[in-house]
Amino acid sequence: MSEERAQPLQSSLRVQELIYGLRISEVMTSKVFAVSRNCTMRDVQTIMKNNSITGVPVVDNKRVVGIVTMNDLMNALERGSMEESVIQWMVGEVQTLAEDMPLSFAISAFGKFPFRQFPVVNKKNELTGILTFRNINHALIRELSRQLRDMEQRHEHPPEPNSLTLSKVYQLSRYDFENGGKASSEIKKFLKSRGVPPKVIRRVAVASYELEINLVAHSNGGMLGFDITEDRVKISSHDRGPGIEDIEKAMTQGFSTANEWIRSQGFGAGMGLPNVKRVSDEFAIESAMGMGTMVKSIISLKPEKEHED
Amino acid sequence: MDLLRIVDALDAELVHGPDGWEKINIETVFASDLMSDVLMSERDDMLLVTSLSSEQSIRSAGIVGSEAVIVANGKTVTEGMIELAADQDVALFRARFPKYDLCVLLGRLLGT
Repeated sequence: MSEERAQPLQSSLRVQELIYGLRISEVMTSKVFAVSRNCTMRDVQTIMKNNSITGVPVVDNKRVVGIVTMNDLMNALERGSMEESVIQWMVGEVQTLAEDMPLSFAISAFGKFPFRQFPVVNKKNELTGILTFRNINHALIRELSRQLRDMEQRHEHPPEPNSLTLSKVYQLSRYDFENGGKASSEIKKFLKSRGVPPKVIRRVAVASYELEINLVAHSNGGMLGFDITEDRVKISSHDRGPGIEDIEKAMTQGFSTANEWIRSQGFGAGMGLPNVKRVSDEFAIESAMGMGTMVKSIISLKPEKEHED
Repeated sequence: MDLLRIVDALDAELVHGPDGWEKINIETVFASDLMSDVLMSERDDMLLVTSLSSEQSIRSAGIVGSEAVIVANGKTVTEGMIELAADQDVALFRARFPKYDLCVLLGRLLGT
């Protein structure tokens, strides 16, 4: 396959495929070692040494005001300033992550910023954890083993040949309009072959196609996942940014950031996301600037939900 | 109304038609170059008339279950569009008339 050109972005996408659905809070280290403003670099050194860690957030009333990394510690050591306050040596502008963000956003953050760890905060902006590559590796191994177990189980108990169960992930690249729509066509054919009513198929196809177009037209690339059971179709779209500045606006019919080229392709009228919501029984969207956007759409396959049409 | 009667009246040329396309039933027409609008439609037995000669037109038709597409203004139809039409079971036509003229003709033909 042509997409096998081992680009870093592609491989990060494969990682995302494995862990999509996980939240940062499920993966981070919750036991955080932090220091207050009046601690010295010597205190930080002791904490790092005793706990084998490489970064210590500086907090003021549970809010993160800075971070001291191994690098800062070595600088202080070189200058013989170990008794000085952490304020003199910490990095003040800290990029934090929100604990309820999808883990895929964090992976984008690691790609975008040079930091090796990110303090994680809750809704009140209080420090609740720290996220390092090690956490992501662990999550990956955990997910890999889980998926292997699932595969083994599926091998032992293969699903019925006409089962509605399907789980599939498609990758989409920026401006690849040629392939935008392939996933929707495949899923549509699958549902048709399983005898799902045409009106329901249309809703699934519309949601999925709008999301595909969004991925190729507006994102830096991403993936579209389908998780189909007897009861419902769940579609998840994850991308690598740039993120939506104002979700409320993006959900307004007619609002669009599309350029002329996208419009020349017949899109960019500002109807995409509202249209996905319209056909969904459940809809959710999350976005963070510079990190990405995640959209979830659930369409029920149970007949009683159909009366809305 | 049968698709055959409609395309005859519009003097549209067949580019690709699945078996039995002549008998496809058409009840409504959607004329648009904006696929975002097409994707909002809820109609059944719909003919899509568009000046947007691109694969996205065929895809959008397929997504909303429209079985026939007429490309207006005598625009060139690409190989990719024909392949997609075959894959999606969409009957594809090209008409030399502009979209407005096609709509006028269709209005007379299907008019209430």
